[in-house]
Amino acid sequence: MKNITPQENKIQGLLDRYLRQQFAGSGFALASENHLDDDSLTAFVEGNLSSREARPIVAHLVDCSFCRHVTTELVRLDLAFAETDAVEGRAEISEPSRVSEVLSGILSRIFGTNDGAVFAHQENDSEEDQEKEKPEEDESEK
Amino acid sequence: MPIETTINEGLLEECGSLISGMFARCSENAPNFGVREHCFAASLQKTINKYLFAASSDPVNLEDAAEFLEQIQADDLFMALACASGNERAWWEFDQQHRSYLERVARHLAKTEVDAQEVIDTVYVELYGTRVVDGERVSKFSTYSGRGSLRGWLRTVIWHSLVDLHRASHDEVSLDEMTENVGEGSVHASFAEAAPGGEDEMMDHLARERYRKATLASIETAFSSLEDHEKLLLLYYHVENLKLREIARMVENTASPLRGWFQRKSSTRDKDPSSRIHESTIMRWLEKSYARVLQIFREELQSKHGLKNEEIEICVELATQDLADSGFNRNLTVT
Repeated sequence: MKNITPQENKIQGLLDRYLRQQFAGSGFALASENHLDDDSLTAFVEGNLSSREARPIVAHLVDCSFCRHVTTELVRLDLAFAETDAVEGRAEISEPSRVSEVLSGILSRIFGTNDGAVFAHQENDSEEDQEKEKPEEDESEK
Repeated sequence: MPIETTINEGLLEECGSLISGMFARCSENAPNFGVREHCFAASLQKTINKYLFAASSDPVNLEDAAEFLEQIQADDLFMALACASGNERAWWEFDQQHRSYLERVARHLAKTEVDAQEVIDTVYVELYGTRVVDGERVSKFSTYSGRGSLRGWLRTVIWHSLVDLHRASHDEVSLDEMTENVGEGSVHASFAEAAPGGEDEMMDHLARERYRKATLASIETAFSSLEDHEKLLLLYYHVENLKLREIARMVENTASPLRGWFQRKSSTRDKDPSSRIHESTIMRWLEKSYARVLQIFREELQSKHGLKNEEIEICVELATQDLADSGFNRNLTVT
């Protein structure tokens, strides 16, 4: 590690104060439609964007503390789960219920109605599918 | 029709065989998802327009587009498109692969089990879609592009859903206050109102104010002179309180543009694109940014404000004294 000169140390403190004063909370006034969407936030946090794609996003994050704060939280979340994923791995794999049943249950809890017809248009096909083949193992837990 | 649009469409046509190849691979992996090729292609074209064409007016060639398409998480996108159209088999797979993960994320973020369950329910409903526009159900899945991983996107959706839940249960709290509370807090110390305490008695008030103003203006200029990625790094570290290892995580992907921009100017040891980014590397990037700020800061005080070296020292000393009581000056150490 290089030795930091006293002046560099002072400028660091000065900058710290300036940034906190000027940038904490800035950009909250932006209309919500001007914020980055979930898809862009995710792609940026995962480092999947090219320089060309990332440039306007980085410029936005400098100005918009709301989106910057979201990316901060997402990085922390990503790191937290990267550390626990390897441990928990496949431990929680279980046979899911039929999704139409799950969703119907959720919808009825939320809206007080049993919207059991949500998958009605595919019921026949899906039943056949389920009999034809068993689901493959959980690839996403790799 | 604008020329750019014509060029874009021409390029998209040239990408047709690539897209067909991707579709064939995805269909082979998930033959029962019922995704149609034209839907898959339309989604990719929307993504290319959103990320590649809209990001810059620089021309895009076929090589750029091909590289872009290769990076798409095609199987994730395929599943999302199938779920968006209500394919039962795709939902089954989705539930199998991701529900336990969604639950873990929700429980990690939510304060109570009830909140976690509510968020999971809400997210499932959003993913299925209850809103109907022009006779078609709008699924949240239709906003997933495949540019990031499906799991990363799901984490983001859950995070936002929890924020919305928190807002709904705290009507009196504004979005600003709520999001600031979500973070690690921010310090709103006033630079200009800092207590002077202990300054040289020979300096009168007007002189001190002049130095303070010059200091503030110069630090402002110095920061503004940095490139955006340098500014963002400093903001993540100083304002958002991201730790060095958290920043390192953000640039772990070897293709990360942030990493590329910093490595472009870095010493040889930092340039190996395949090497892991350590906290010490992030620290070196920060140090370079501090050095740049200091250099521009001094130049500004000298050239624009006509201050001599001794006066610049006074400016820095004054500002440092102002900082003395604030207690938030973080040392540059690995955390």
